[in-house]
Amino acid sequence: MYRILLLSVCPVRNRALHVYIREACLRSSKCDIVSLPICRATNGGVFNAFGTSSVIHCEKKEGPLPPKEENSALKDGEQKVAVKMVGEKVIELQDYVKMVAEQSEQRVGVKMEGVTESVKIEEIPVKMDSEKMEEIQTKTALLPIPEVKLEDVKESEEMKEIMLASKTEEVKQKLEVTMAVVKEGETIVEIQVKTEEVVDVKKEGDKVVEEQMLEVNKEEQQTEAPPKDEIQPVKSGKESLLDLLGAMKVEVTNKRKFKALKVQRTSETAARPMPAAMESTTSMFQEATGMADVPAPAPSETLSPELVAAVSAAAATLPSQSQAESELLKKLRQHEAIGEAQKNGDVNNIGVIIADMKVGKKPNGRQNARPANQIRFDEDGRGYTHDRGITAELDGGLRRRRSLFSGKRLNIFTPSTEPEADTDIAVPTLWDMELANQVALSTNQMPRNGFEEMIQWTKEGRLWQYPINNEAGLEAEAQVPFHEHVFLEKHLEEGFPRQGPVRHFMELVVSGLAKNPYYTIQQKREHIAWFRDYFQQKEEVLKEAEVYLN
Amino acid sequence: IPKKKTSSYQFDIVTNNNHSCSDRSKWAVLQALASTVNRDPTAPHYMFQDDPYLTPRTSAEFKLYSLSQESGRMAANHIVNKNPKFFQKDFAEPHIPCLMPETMELCIEEVSEAALLERIMLRKVKAAVDMYDQLLQAGTTVSPDASNDLLDLICLYGDRDPVQDDKPEAEDVQEEGRRRKGRLRRASDLVRIVWRENNNAERIFNLLPERDTRAYSALIRGMVKYGAHVKAFNTYTDMLNNRLTADVHTFNALISAAPEVRERYTEKWDLIVDLLNQMNEQKVKPNLLTFNALLKALRRCGSLARAQSLHTLSEMKAMGIAPSLASFDHVLGIFYKAGQTDILQEVMTEVAGRTFVAQDPDDGMPVCLDTKDIEAAYKVHDLLRVGENWRMLGDSFQQSIYYGRMFNLLCMMEHIDVVLKWYKELIPSLYYPNPQGMRDLLQALDTDNRLDMIPQIWKDIRRMGHDNKSDLVDELLSLMARDKHSPEIQESFAVCALDVKSLYEQGQGARMALEWTATAMTNITSVLLAAQKKQQAWDMLKLFKTKNRVPSEELMEEFLASIKSSNDPQHAMELVQISASFCLPSTPKLAERVLQAFELSEEQKTILSELEVSTEVSE
Repeated sequence: MYRILLLSVCPVRNRALHVYIREACLRSSKCDIVSLPICRATNGGVFNAFGTSSVIHCEKKEGPLPPKEENSALKDGEQKVAVKMVGEKVIELQDYVKMVAEQSEQRVGVKMEGVTESVKIEEIPVKMDSEKMEEIQTKTALLPIPEVKLEDVKESEEMKEIMLASKTEEVKQKLEVTMAVVKEGETIVEIQVKTEEVVDVKKEGDKVVEEQMLEVNKEEQQTEAPPKDEIQPVKSGKESLLDLLGAMKVEVTNKRKFKALKVQRTSETAARPMPAAMESTTSMFQEATGMADVPAPAPSETLSPELVAAVSAAAATLPSQSQAESELLKKLRQHEAIGEAQKNGDVNNIGVIIADMKVGKKPNGRQNARPANQIRFDEDGRGYTHDRGITAELDGGLRRRRSLFSGKRLNIFTPSTEPEADTDIAVPTLWDMELANQVALSTNQMPRNGFEEMIQWTKEGRLWQYPINNEAGLEAEAQVPFHEHVFLEKHLEEGFPRQGPVRHFMELVVSGLAKNPYYTIQQKREHIAWFRDYFQQKEEVLKEAEVYLN
Repeated sequence: IPKKKTSSYQFDIVTNNNHSCSDRSKWAVLQALASTVNRDPTAPHYMFQDDPYLTPRTSAEFKLYSLSQESGRMAANHIVNKNPKFFQKDFAEPHIPCLMPETMELCIEEVSEAALLERIMLRKVKAAVDMYDQLLQAGTTVSPDASNDLLDLICLYGDRDPVQDDKPEAEDVQEEGRRRKGRLRRASDLVRIVWRENNNAERIFNLLPERDTRAYSALIRGMVKYGAHVKAFNTYTDMLNNRLTADVHTFNALISAAPEVRERYTEKWDLIVDLLNQMNEQKVKPNLLTFNALLKALRRCGSLARAQSLHTLSEMKAMGIAPSLASFDHVLGIFYKAGQTDILQEVMTEVAGRTFVAQDPDDGMPVCLDTKDIEAAYKVHDLLRVGENWRMLGDSFQQSIYYGRMFNLLCMMEHIDVVLKWYKELIPSLYYPNPQGMRDLLQALDTDNRLDMIPQIWKDIRRMGHDNKSDLVDELLSLMARDKHSPEIQESFAVCALDVKSLYEQGQGARMALEWTATAMTNITSVLLAAQKKQQAWDMLKLFKTKNRVPSEELMEEFLASIKSSNDPQHAMELVQISASFCLPSTPKLAERVLQAFELSEEQKTILSELEVSTEVSE
């Protein structure tokens, strides 16, 4: 847990530094130096949420954002140290997450609020990002203060929908980027999501939030004159929270619409970089948000067919479809049952559910799976092809594979575990050679380039083997130790005179042989043996000359 | 000397084993380097890079050049092996065995077991049998190993001496080039070489003092190989009666023979299952070839095959034996016969991304592109690019089949841009399309309105030597003449048409000449007219006369329109006269229109009205 937090916080710091440099050159004297760190932190949070790609957005949002940042900076003027010190943050975050794990309703509420808060801040870059969301942009731009926004939401359903749509977008984006930041953490998505939210809350730059975490005291928040953003959860209280939660559920249905829009956008505008590898994770996180959304229904929610369909769609993206689906539905029903209790403010279960949610690890083979009903452009130029969709693919793929391999078998042989004794290799029969020959003939043996030709030559034994070894072909010699080559006097002990000219001559021969690198040891011995024979044959002559002294 | 020879023989085996297992790193460096080299689609095959003159442009040239290269190599080998005494100098250090002459002649004259082994090693079936007989007559006992080797040899070659140049290590192109035929030849071998009653194999088998599994195995495999299926099963029964157990090769042979000895599908299958059960009872572990033989046999088991083939695959999986391409090929064959094509998808998902090593002579890329499924074709092609899988495509003949089908499918299914992309990629470095392939391409051009590519394609057609295929040329011309295009395109068409025309005219030379057809002439003329090349068009019109072809009426109309635009009464007169000389039924109409449209002299008018009348009279 700690590590994950660190992981998600560290990038924030890095980012903040990065932003600092950036802003240092970009920014005019709008913000004083004191507020800069905070701005950095704030921006850092946004950046973290948006990952590398959002740097540009940040530049864009230069206009709308500064006042906000200044606000927060001013508010937290005295708290900047806390924000700056990442280590402290981490501890606090840890605490917070622990508390979240305890599923206290307030914290959940705060957390949710955190999500919405971050959404509100991050909405702006998104708006920049897509022209399609312009209406949303204008509407949200009109409502800089969240309270008003909430009221508006309450007033107009449509408005809420739009806002929620944007929120979904936010959550999705944020989740995607979390993925980018902590790439390996697929299994711990849920926690990361939380952490991310926490970081966001914090990065809103509010000491208040931290205190809120630590003390879990709403009243204190109020008294401390928190930033306007933060007042919201307190003021609206549980009702607004429930509203929000209910709204979150609404987006289950909205999501699809929105996703379609988004998909269209991604396919149309190449400007927005979306690596293909991310796509599957995107879908996973979309699904994760879906899951986070689904189990947090409004109290009045019943298991409508649409919801069930949404659940199954979400579950279909998981490896164990039926299991996930039933799990989701179970949770939903559970919620339905306790809906009334929730109405009375008992939202404990939301935290439980969110905490209980697990995102299964994706099997490697499904990396390229695309979300259902997605239309993708075929790069071969054949135009738009309707993808079979992940469900169909998964479904069909599994079923097919089963039919090809995991069906009934003949049940004649029993696989033996004992290793096979390699008796065949001992002596290949003519049949084996014939078979090998036929196999070789059935393949294409023509080399395609010079290297392949060299491989062929190497196989035929025509070429030096790589890496080049000077002693290639001298494998037998490698077994002979060095002294056998050099100390050859022992071969003179038999068959040669102990002293005299013959002995002297032979010593010279031996010393010559000792320095000869070209002879094998066998050849050296034969060489000496030849002299031995020769001198033995000439023994008579030598004795006559009195040079053969024994 | 004999000792040395056997040792060199064993040395061969040892090096072979080394190659297969431990010393893979020997060429790992080269493999890594080779993997960095991409194919250059503009270059000829590596084989031909030594001499640009020998860059093949047609499939016939490819065949000729590659075969002649290989036959030169083989001729040199032959000379070296025939005259070993001239090639004894061994320069190489360390010694390179494959550069030294191989001993092809028998060296041991005396009657001994060593002589027998030598004859077996050199695959001299008749000499080995003679030697064995002489040994027996001399009362020498032959060791069981030697007699088993002899039995192997006789059974392998069906009691015939193998064809001389069919050396075991001859894995060269010439062999490859003949392999497709070689398959047929092997089939014809089955007809020609049959397992004769009481041949040497059976005789020697009966002479053996003790018959072990190996002797039975050799006999049964030989019988199956040379078509004595029933006999093989009888021998197997005999073997069981002698309380012997068979080995896996015996069972493989028997399984592949099973469909031959039973009539009905169920009986065939029952026999196979019976054999498999016996295998299990005798504790014989099946191998890949067992299952491949089983699947191959299933192809002849009709409706039973589909379910059982899937069961077989599951059994393979349970036994931990990965199916080879041949297994998948058999499964595909089974399902395709039944018209179920979706099995291809399953197989493709199964094989995608895997590297295959040939393990079975039947291994090879399943050429399953006749389903009009371009996705599957792409998948197959992707598979081909994985690792060493390109080797599985087989020899050049099979490659041309594969690429031919692939290209055909592309032309049919894909947009012309994609087709042209593949065209550049495949042709001519990998594939030399036949006239049908080029026609497919032309049709694809037509479908997607890219007829402006035609002059370029025509150049390729000429280069590939298809310019003497009259139907292809006709099609090309008619496509050019059919529609009106922009002046630039018409201009390029006209150049192309003149090129075609020159081909017709110089065609009387060495190569098979094209015969002028009326449609071809008409098309060329109208292309020329459309490009405002009046003089050349007139030449063409006159050519009709000399070649005794009749221009169509539409062509005359086109001519008239063209003359009208330039307002040349003289030519108009000529045109009517030509038309009259061809006795075209439209001549009066033509004359009438000329009279109306042009300002003619009196003399011309009379001629025209005469023509008008005369043709009417003649009608």
